Amino acid sequence: MKIDIARHPTHAIVTFDGAIDGKTAPEVQAALAPVLGECSVLVLDLTRVGYMSSAGLRVLLLLHRQLTAKKGKAILVGLAENLTETMRITGFLQFFETHATLAEVKL
Amino acid sequence: MTPLVLPGRLESLEQVAEFVHAAAREAQLTDKVANRLQLAVDEVATNVVMHAYQEKGRDGELYLAADIDAGALRLHVEDTGEAYDPTTRPDPTNLDAPLEEREIGGLGLFLARRSVDELLYSRRGDRNRMTFVVNRPAPA
Repeated sequence: MKIDIARHPTHAIVTFDGAIDGKTAPEVQAALAPVLGECSVLVLDLTRVGYMSSAGLRVLLLLHRQLTAKKGKAILVGLAENLTETMRITGFLQFFETHATLAEVKL
Repeated sequence: MTPLVLPGRLESLEQVAEFVHAAAREAQLTDKVANRLQLAVDEVATNVVMHAYQEKGRDGELYLAADIDAGALRLHVEDTGEAYDPTTRPDPTNLDAPLEEREIGGLGLFLARRSVDELLYSRRGDRNRMTFVVNRPAPA
């Protein structure tokens, strides 16, 4: 799992490359922790994430709770069809703003 | 398919996924069906590693095997943890609730069940066996 973080005055863009599973989800969570302390709008670019299990949903759940508590939000970009399906059948999709590409994100 | 034995650790999940996709290719499943099978097997294998082995302080292995016949691919994952039948757990009921009110956990097995045609449990000697059944499309 490769994770890049770009910090901006109003938000951060976090780009992931690799699968999010039981092994890599703790790496994702650890990488997001400091960013969460700094900003309340997080853009997660998942274009290069071909697989995500419930371990990833758990990270998204915690992220959503922490951001909601400080009136912020997480924006998900580039969800593959299988990730969209996983999020839809578990009822997660409706709680996130999603966009096909980074260019579509309005901040 | 030649069966595969892997250490019961999270580091093995990548090889579990490779085994699943090799079996799916041999059974000529579509990519979409193969990806769903990967999710189901990964969720169950992760639960075995975390709950049957790590939490209990036990060492153990993951035993993978696959049978393919004209009708279906049956992929088996066995472990030597305590006898446990996850298929008896009820599905989560709060899937429309706001995320603030959700329990963490229980979603993996729900996804596993939803992602294959059948998910079966059996106890064989000192092993738990989970069998993932995916129906094969009828030949054109």
